Amino acid sequence: MSLLEVRDLRVAYGAIEAIKGISLDVEEGQVVTLIGTNGAGKTTTLRTLSGLLRPVAGQVLFDGARLDKLKAHEIVARGVAHAPEGRRIFPLMTVEENLELGAYSRKGEAIAQDVAEVFERFPRLHERRAQKAGTLSGGEQQMLAIGRALMSRPRLLMLDEPSMGLSPIMIQLIFDTVAELKAAGTTILLVEQNASAALALADTGYVLETGRVVLTGTGPDLLTDENVRKAYLGED
Amino acid sequence: MTAALLDRVATSAERLRSHGTRLSPSLAAAAFVLVVVGTNLPWATFSGFPGLMSLALYPAGSRIYVLALAPALALVAVRFSRRRQAGLAATLALLAVVVQTIIAIARDGGGLVNVSVGAWVTLLGALLGVAAFVALPDDGAPLPRSWPVLPALVEALAVVFAVAASLALLVYALDVEAPSQFVGFLLALGGGLVALNRLGLFEWLGALYARRQALTLVLMAAAAVTFPFTQGGSSYWLRVAANVGVFAAAAIGLNVVVGLAGLLDLGYIAFFGVGAYVAALYGNAGLGPSRGHLPFLAVIVLGALVSGLVGVLIGAPTLRLRGDYLAIVTLGFGEIFHTLVNTYDAYTGGPNGLSNIPDLRQGSFDFGLPHTVFGVELAGFANYYYLELVLVALVMFVFARLNASRIGRAWVAIREDELAASAMGINTVSYKLLAFGIGATLAGASGTVQAHVATQVSPDSFVFLQSVFLLAAVVLGGMGTVPGAVVGAAILIAVPEKLRAFSDYRLLLFGLLLVILMRFRPEGMIPSRRRQREFHDADGADALSAPPGSAVA
Amino acid sequence: MQQFFQQLSDGLVLGALYALIALGYTMVYGIVQLINFAHGEIFMVGAFGGYTLYHYVLPSSLPSGIALLLVLLVAMLTSALLAAFVERVAYRPLRNAPRLAPLITAIGVSIALQESIRLFYPNGSVGKPFPQLFPRGTVDLGGVTLTYVDLFVISLALVLMLTLRTFVFRSATGRAMRATAQDPDTARLMGVDTDRIIVITFVLGGLLAGAAGVLQGMIASPIDFKIGFIAGLKAFTAAVLGGIGNITGAVLGGFTLGIVEALATQYVPNGSALKDSFAFVVLVLVLVFRPTGLLGESVRSRA
Repeated sequence: MSLLEVRDLRVAYGAIEAIKGISLDVEEGQVVTLIGTNGAGKTTTLRTLSGLLRPVAGQVLFDGARLDKLKAHEIVARGVAHAPEGRRIFPLMTVEENLELGAYSRKGEAIAQDVAEVFERFPRLHERRAQKAGTLSGGEQQMLAIGRALMSRPRLLMLDEPSMGLSPIMIQLIFDTVAELKAAGTTILLVEQNASAALALADTGYVLETGRVVLTGTGPDLLTDENVRKAYLGED
Repeated sequence: MTAALLDRVATSAERLRSHGTRLSPSLAAAAFVLVVVGTNLPWATFSGFPGLMSLALYPAGSRIYVLALAPALALVAVRFSRRRQAGLAATLALLAVVVQTIIAIARDGGGLVNVSVGAWVTLLGALLGVAAFVALPDDGAPLPRSWPVLPALVEALAVVFAVAASLALLVYALDVEAPSQFVGFLLALGGGLVALNRLGLFEWLGALYARRQALTLVLMAAAAVTFPFTQGGSSYWLRVAANVGVFAAAAIGLNVVVGLAGLLDLGYIAFFGVGAYVAALYGNAGLGPSRGHLPFLAVIVLGALVSGLVGVLIGAPTLRLRGDYLAIVTLGFGEIFHTLVNTYDAYTGGPNGLSNIPDLRQGSFDFGLPHTVFGVELAGFANYYYLELVLVALVMFVFARLNASRIGRAWVAIREDELAASAMGINTVSYKLLAFGIGATLAGASGTVQAHVATQVSPDSFVFLQSVFLLAAVVLGGMGTVPGAVVGAAILIAVPEKLRAFSDYRLLLFGLLLVILMRFRPEGMIPSRRRQREFHDADGADALSAPPGSAVA
Repeated sequence: MQQFFQQLSDGLVLGALYALIALGYTMVYGIVQLINFAHGEIFMVGAFGGYTLYHYVLPSSLPSGIALLLVLLVAMLTSALLAAFVERVAYRPLRNAPRLAPLITAIGVSIALQESIRLFYPNGSVGKPFPQLFPRGTVDLGGVTLTYVDLFVISLALVLMLTLRTFVFRSATGRAMRATAQDPDTARLMGVDTDRIIVITFVLGGLLAGAAGVLQGMIASPIDFKIGFIAGLKAFTAAVLGGIGNITGAVLGGFTLGIVEALATQYVPNGSALKDSFAFVVLVLVLVFRPTGLLGESVRSRA
């Protein structure tokens, strides 16, 4: 049984259906990526999985239990963390406070230790730990967003466009981090527009178009798929 | 723990519902029989309870309301998707009326022993009725999305009939003397309205109005013009109607500000007050420093201009800010106006105000005297009434033109998303200022007339609660529509006018009315199409983006 | 000069009261962007809660110190419960409605609460002499006279405000409150139950308002059903003056407004008759010249 099973998920904004029946699986320890153009429904999918949006129909099973009727904070407590699109760090709080909030769903134990671990992973954040998060650079904010998501000790980590708007060096650093997390056994659901980098890391990839899954395969397979190369990797 | 309990309740309700299709009709039929029989039996053992409750075969008092709701039981037989909700609303209201009446009888008579058999039979019927709809499964065909188009005259008459029916209900309500019976009436009315709303009646009427606007308005105008001729020379209702006119004109002005531009003005009455004081000081009362007597038309214009100018002065610095600041600043302005008028009493008369303002005179025409038209004598107030009618018509015309214009579209854009509007190149501040100034101008104009209708002005007529009152008229009638504001003003003026027994509860009811309207029908009784879409799209988004807890609430 | 200082200290007492009420406005606004128009009434009902306890429940033999403590507690609880109730019943269903809807609801709630007290409280339209449970006496500070009550009001207000500050900036719940204020959706992704946080915010505002209700009774007995209206408006002005959404700002704004009002009443011709108007003049001036308030950051754009 997969850790996360999504069955025929449908989501609508008012009368407009944004997700028209998506099914996908994430196995424990895998990296799964959703790729697709703007408006394909990637972000909507993640926001639905984490309870910010309500599906019209379909099921989300996490470790065998239904998630789709739970509130967002209950879903976090089950072990699903979501680093949202645009990073969405809390700008008026310090770096440290942001991290502590990431552990809000946990009670007491070992939080300080996990903060230290995040600082170890991202030394830049350690330097700036007492600074207001709003003053960080884009790349640093992304590190903070990932670190903050890790603070809940998730069983599934969902990353939405972590490379968006970053410099090439930062993009490299962020993908390196994802690779490290994968190596450490973290289960990751990754949404990316940078399809080649994402597919290179992924065990499984799903290609989304206007709210539907149009193609599925292993990361390497999709990387070499002609249609994918044409549509998403910018080759003719 | 509670979740488990709720689960169990839900499953047993579901089980009940699976039998419901078979069970409900018999329950409903039994309920109907019991209610009809019960209302024809005596409800009280003693005479003297309002509605002749000790008499049999004479369903008067609250028993009428119970009977009026009973036909809703027939909804079990109709396969409409919302029949269950509609039926529940009606039967719960029925139950509420019965329970409330039983309590009232027991209180007046000194105990439940004085409640007679009829009441208990009806209570049983009401309970069965509620059960019939609780047991009903939620199925059936959805209501048709679009209604067949009928001939124009029929559709327009339907709207006019609906308005007339509500005014008739109003007049009826005014005649209900006994408080307990009035409460019963309100309960029945509320339940009935919810039920009709669930069945789509108001949606339909709204669509009709939107389709046949011009004709409807012509018919309503015709009805309004003939109204004084039906009064047989009596001035009572004409005086009420003239007051309704004053407030309706002001409410339409407020509707420009709130309904069209989306600006909440909580000091609106102060602009009205500015107009009234201008009329008192410079009109034929001649109470001002110059002791001057301006002709009436000049006074209206002067009052409107001064008020509009004050509006612009207040609005200019504050309209750059977010809407809710404006609400507080206008509220503050209203309070300052009140304080200033109270304090600087050289000309305003201070707390006592200015009284003995004579009737209007234009040339040799005295508004205070009765006149005979077409052989019918019209009381003096008819003059004011017609003046108000003209003023309201004028204000409506301005409103309609604005609404349909470029300006109106700019306002809608600002109301919906100010940031986006300014990004599209709309100068939001000047458009908001325009709305605010127009609102103030219209209020000023109706204020000048009010000074003469009421024959006096005093600071206490221009306080915050009066602003809320106008706001309630706008919200109740429907934000962004003209008839809405008129109907709202009519209801809010006319109801307290006669209900002396309830005048003490007037404000409480206003407050609750605002809360309940915003919760259940924020678009008001006669919604503008745009408004309705806005509020209901928001509902749709609600289900999506709201946290589950709040979506349920 | 002596008179100036006397007015100044009177202004401080008044300001402490405004600040306590302003905190409720500013916290609620910060978290749900709603001007909780009914907050003044929540303050008023708190005062009535305290009065009710003293007048109808407590035995007269009770030492006044204990009585005062109980009155204070009950007033705070009354306001807090009422605030939570109003949030649940009136505001929460409108969480995603157009902006105008909750504001109009708030006005409705405010009127309904005022009228409920006037109509349903025993003899509710008449002012109630608030029990004076604090020792009488005055302190003379170089010609400026302060009563013991004045000192108590200022110190209790300061203690409550510091407690609140500590809670908001040190506790995990406080952190979740600030997160919800900055970005509610992301706060939910952190596992914050934002509905619960919003209720807690209303409750905190209510606790402070209830305490303010008792203090109001101590410095300006009698209390009646109308005291919430003007006090609420002034406290809102104080919140805007300090920078709405900003807790420190609300305190600063409260004291500033209290002092301005006390001084203006003394030095502006006809000042005492115009007493209640100064706050609005201040409000308009602030909004014109510094709409973000004394301590406000530039207004956040919410995505």
